[in-house]
Amino acid sequence: MADRLLVSTRKGLFVLKPGQGGWTVAAVHFLGDNVTLAHVDPRDGAWYAALDLGHFGVKLHRTDDEGATWQELAAPEYGPEDTVATGDSKPPQAATLKLIWSLASGSADQPGRIWAGTAPGGLFRSDDRGQSWSLVRTLWNRPERAEWFGGGYDSPGIHSICIDPRNAGAIRLAISCAGVWQSADDGATWEQSAHGMRAEYMPPERAGDPNIQDPHRMVQCPASPDRFWVQHHNGIFVSDDGARNWREIHEVPPSVFGFAVAVHPHQPDTAWFVPAIKDERRVPVDAQVVVTRTRDGGRSFEVLREGLPQTHAYDLILRHALAVDSSGDRLAFGSTTGGLWTTADQGEHWTAADCRLPPIHAVTFV
Amino acid sequence: MVKVVLASALARWLSGEERGERGEIVLEVEAGSLDQALARVFALHPGMRGYVLDDAGVVRHHVAVFVDGHAIGDKRSLAVPLAPGAEVYLMQALSGG
Repeated sequence: MADRLLVSTRKGLFVLKPGQGGWTVAAVHFLGDNVTLAHVDPRDGAWYAALDLGHFGVKLHRTDDEGATWQELAAPEYGPEDTVATGDSKPPQAATLKLIWSLASGSADQPGRIWAGTAPGGLFRSDDRGQSWSLVRTLWNRPERAEWFGGGYDSPGIHSICIDPRNAGAIRLAISCAGVWQSADDGATWEQSAHGMRAEYMPPERAGDPNIQDPHRMVQCPASPDRFWVQHHNGIFVSDDGARNWREIHEVPPSVFGFAVAVHPHQPDTAWFVPAIKDERRVPVDAQVVVTRTRDGGRSFEVLREGLPQTHAYDLILRHALAVDSSGDRLAFGSTTGGLWTTADQGEHWTAADCRLPPIHAVTFV
Repeated sequence: MVKVVLASALARWLSGEERGERGEIVLEVEAGSLDQALARVFALHPGMRGYVLDDAGVVRHHVAVFVDGHAIGDKRSLAVPLAPGAEVYLMQALSGG
């Protein structure tokens, strides 16, 4: 099981290790700075940290020695002529990097390849470990992009990148709000694949439009790569055909709304979610933090609460703030109020971390 | 020559330059206008460009540029003439928190 966790927070990147009770802070990097995401490259062990400095923009750093030294890399950059127009009629604006919202590594035979999903909607590719980036214009230039719009931000953003473990040229993206897009040829061409998703927030005649869906988070099962899970703005969706077609899972207690999802690395039918009251409130149902788990592909769900706060808890878990390790036994999730919990038995028992952290954006096992 | 001052919040992301009492970095460059002065600074420290300007080459929303004590009038128009000995001050705008 993984024995370290990178916790990206509003006030720094925290490295946690198991302690006597809960997990404890072993190291802090970028203390005081807004670290929005961390990525661990399984090929070379490098850690990447995305920062949003507010005043000075979005930055990217890498360490090759587990945090002893960090090197600032180039951040992805849009061209001076690139603009963002959105399908909800916001006036067109110059495209400038707002957020690095996802990072993914290429395969072992693509040394140096890193993908970055960003707001306002650009996918970037690096072939030199983040030293330089190029905007993937085959997706950026799709005419459908004019209909995309922001979900939680003013502009659309790519928050999930799934690289197929069988073939790294097969790439699936989830975008808020532009549904799911996929490429079978390493990004040369793209097609939409959010068919079957449903957007209750749209006028009824547009509810099934794949181009305006708001998947909050998409994950692919490494051992069964045609199985995808999505926590969507309007519920939970699952695909058995490589994210082409989706079916909705109804009636998940206590709520089908949430942001995060994790899939067991070896068991495609097992997935975890952290529910909340939908849309306008975004706090746990009955102020009780729970995790929901299915082990049968979504036919039934268990509500897991042992060790989690059950009175007056208002923790919201964002889309990158739930993670499962490569064993499938250990999970962690963190909240916007700095709560952090871990389990070593797939969620049967949870333990609070032994620290009070800043608001948590993302958790990543090393 | 003109003087370009990088306030401490900006200077902390640079290594290898001497700091002033308040953590600022002062660079002396040859320039007759603001855009020339910035180009000289970015030539010395290429990484700094992305801290001061956004992708479109505009001064960042939460970065303030003062020339001889006065904020520039337009973040898109950097062809501001500089007299010899002028002081350009690059700082974080308090609007950014």
